[in-house]
Amino acid sequence: MALPLKYNFRNVVVRWRSTISTVLGIALVVSVFVLLRALARGIEASSANTGDPRNILVVRKGSQAESGSLLGRENFRTLQYFDEIARNEKDEPLISVEIIAIVSMPRIQGLGEANTLIRGITARGMELRPQVTLVDGRWFQPGKREITVARRLAGRFAGLQIGGTVKAGPDMLTVVGHYDAKGSAFDSEAWMDADEARSIFDRDQYSSILLRPKDDAAATTIIAKIEKDKRLALRAEREVDYYSKQTMTAIPIKILAGLLGTAMSIGAIFAAMNTMYASVAGRTREIGTLRVLGYSRRSVVLCFLVEGAFLAAMGGVVGCLLALPMNGVATGTMDFQSFAETVFEFRITPALMLQGVAFSVVIGLLGSLLPAIRASRLPVISALKSL
Amino acid sequence: MNVATFVAKNALRNGRRAFLTIISVAVSCALLISLLTLQRELTTPPESEAASLRIIARNKVSLAQPLPARQLATLDKIPGIVSVSPFSFFGGKFREEIVTGFAQFAVDPARFAPLMVEGHILAGTYEDFIKDRNSCMLGADTMKRYGLKVGDKMKFTGTFYPVDLDLRIACIYEGMVDDRNVFFHHKLLDELTGDPGTVGTWYLLVESAEVSNDVITKINKAFENTSAEVRAETERAFQMGFISMLGNVKLLIGSISTVVVFTLVLVSISTMSMAIRERFRELAVLKALGFKRRELFSFILAESFGLAGLGALLGIGGSWLLWSHIDLQKLTNGFLIYFEVTPRIMATAGIVAALLGIVAAIGPSIAVARMSVVDGLKTLD
Repeated sequence: MALPLKYNFRNVVVRWRSTISTVLGIALVVSVFVLLRALARGIEASSANTGDPRNILVVRKGSQAESGSLLGRENFRTLQYFDEIARNEKDEPLISVEIIAIVSMPRIQGLGEANTLIRGITARGMELRPQVTLVDGRWFQPGKREITVARRLAGRFAGLQIGGTVKAGPDMLTVVGHYDAKGSAFDSEAWMDADEARSIFDRDQYSSILLRPKDDAAATTIIAKIEKDKRLALRAEREVDYYSKQTMTAIPIKILAGLLGTAMSIGAIFAAMNTMYASVAGRTREIGTLRVLGYSRRSVVLCFLVEGAFLAAMGGVVGCLLALPMNGVATGTMDFQSFAETVFEFRITPALMLQGVAFSVVIGLLGSLLPAIRASRLPVISALKSL
Repeated sequence: MNVATFVAKNALRNGRRAFLTIISVAVSCALLISLLTLQRELTTPPESEAASLRIIARNKVSLAQPLPARQLATLDKIPGIVSVSPFSFFGGKFREEIVTGFAQFAVDPARFAPLMVEGHILAGTYEDFIKDRNSCMLGADTMKRYGLKVGDKMKFTGTFYPVDLDLRIACIYEGMVDDRNVFFHHKLLDELTGDPGTVGTWYLLVESAEVSNDVITKINKAFENTSAEVRAETERAFQMGFISMLGNVKLLIGSISTVVVFTLVLVSISTMSMAIRERFRELAVLKALGFKRRELFSFILAESFGLAGLGALLGIGGSWLLWSHIDLQKLTNGFLIYFEVTPRIMATAGIVAALLGIVAAIGPSIAVARMSVVDGLKTLD
């Protein structure tokens, strides 16, 4: 017969001093684990959010990211006459040739400088990315030295408020509006007119081409066609596939989360073990009494395991609560693929919190296993005699 | 029995607890050391005296924006400069690796030689490198890692440049701040890319540290209001700028370290108070025998200090052994290179552990000081 849960609960409450220190210890471990995972999750989410499954992105063969890709106007001329490309109401083909420039800008509060992505884009390119919406000010005008900046990027760099200016070499770009890209990779960019960008950044070549095929079959045809044509030396893939690969930045953070989680949980397991051993030692006579009353060894083991798990789960919940205020906080780091700052948010999802609590329960079970076995093996008579 | 053996016997009386405490302090200390070393690795570029003599000039727009090759003539005229070389990051993939853990730079070999202040040639000759346009100079670390030797070929697939390289190793260098890289002829890069007339950055050496600020100002002035404005800075400032792009690594690791220390404190305090609670009666007996509060406090302090110290010794020694014997460069694919546990970091962890021993003794000592002898004698275990 199992012991009532109430017994465990009261025991935990009675030893409130050691309970608090154990719970807090486990809570801190869990919150570090959850926060690091939330960082990695945030980076992955911004990549996973980006792109339209209908679109195809074309870059130079061999380049790892759009920002490292170079392609000529002649590539664009070849591609735009493909019959498989969808057309808009005005019967224009939905294809956009774009240019990526990297500009070093000062961070707010004087925290040094970082690279930012400026995308020279066309009207078609904006049509192809409906997830991007203007939230403040207006869009840049073609032919003018104006940029519209992602609102989240504007929050991290100095001078990106509306009316502010960005120095790009000897030229100045005026910020005329802010857009929101729904947490996608475009939230780390600033957009301006493609041809204006080419002249300002003194570039003969473009970076990438985005296009929309008529249907899914046409998409497969276009990808195969570009792949086959050796003269083009281009690589075409679905926009979503391209972005889902751009998550390498999350890998070191994930490794760090794993290593720290493991190392810190070892410490936490020992702490829990210590507490549980003390709890067993302090209850020797009680355990003897329980055994005399007819509770089996197995139920004593179970009882202490439940208590350890309960103690740790409390720590897990507290840890998640400690981490929760960071949910949605924007931060940024250098993305080594695009060579520019990527802006993302801590993402603490319910699944992640559940993982955190599960993690803490594992700590609790591992920590209470040995003490529980010890408790069950106490000789009944001498346990009853002990003071 | 003297006081020391009394304290030692008490500390080890509950062997299991002593063991758990020592191990958890050791693990946390090792963790703290690893974190501090990681922070140092990521935020402090290796120092070299020559680094203050070397200057990197990049496009003011950003590092990714090229500079016109014609700027060389202007740079050559600036007084105080010993030598200027183009310095372009090639960013190629070596063999079929997904991430290549070392960089390739295109330089002008004759002009680059004076910039290798602290380096020397280990094998092959630099003259051979200068003469053969299709050759390269390789760092000793990379040579060892891939088991290469002079005369071997190295093939790179370009990711930024639409060209591939096939280089013969002419010589091996050693002793620079980073002994992993590959240097090859800028002329070869120009030839392959159809001579666009651009370079990535300019890398230059100045006569002395005194003139370096002056030279930096002159370079920046020389290209002001041209189509390619230049930002010149010392090699060290350049590296620090690169690190600042990583974002708030320092803050992230710093806050994790704080949490680790805090967890450590919690563990030790709870252990110490458990140990004292268990022998409340004994301490009361000692008090009744005439031991003073101060003496009791020193017993407790010595015990907690001893346990923390032992844990710290294990943790610090263990992590030092681990990190000095593991080939992290290979393990992390060149992401972490040195990962040197410095004496300063070890001392920091030691001080944290010592403070820990003291802090953990305070709570129980107060409890013992406050107890009345009669109550203490009455306590059951």
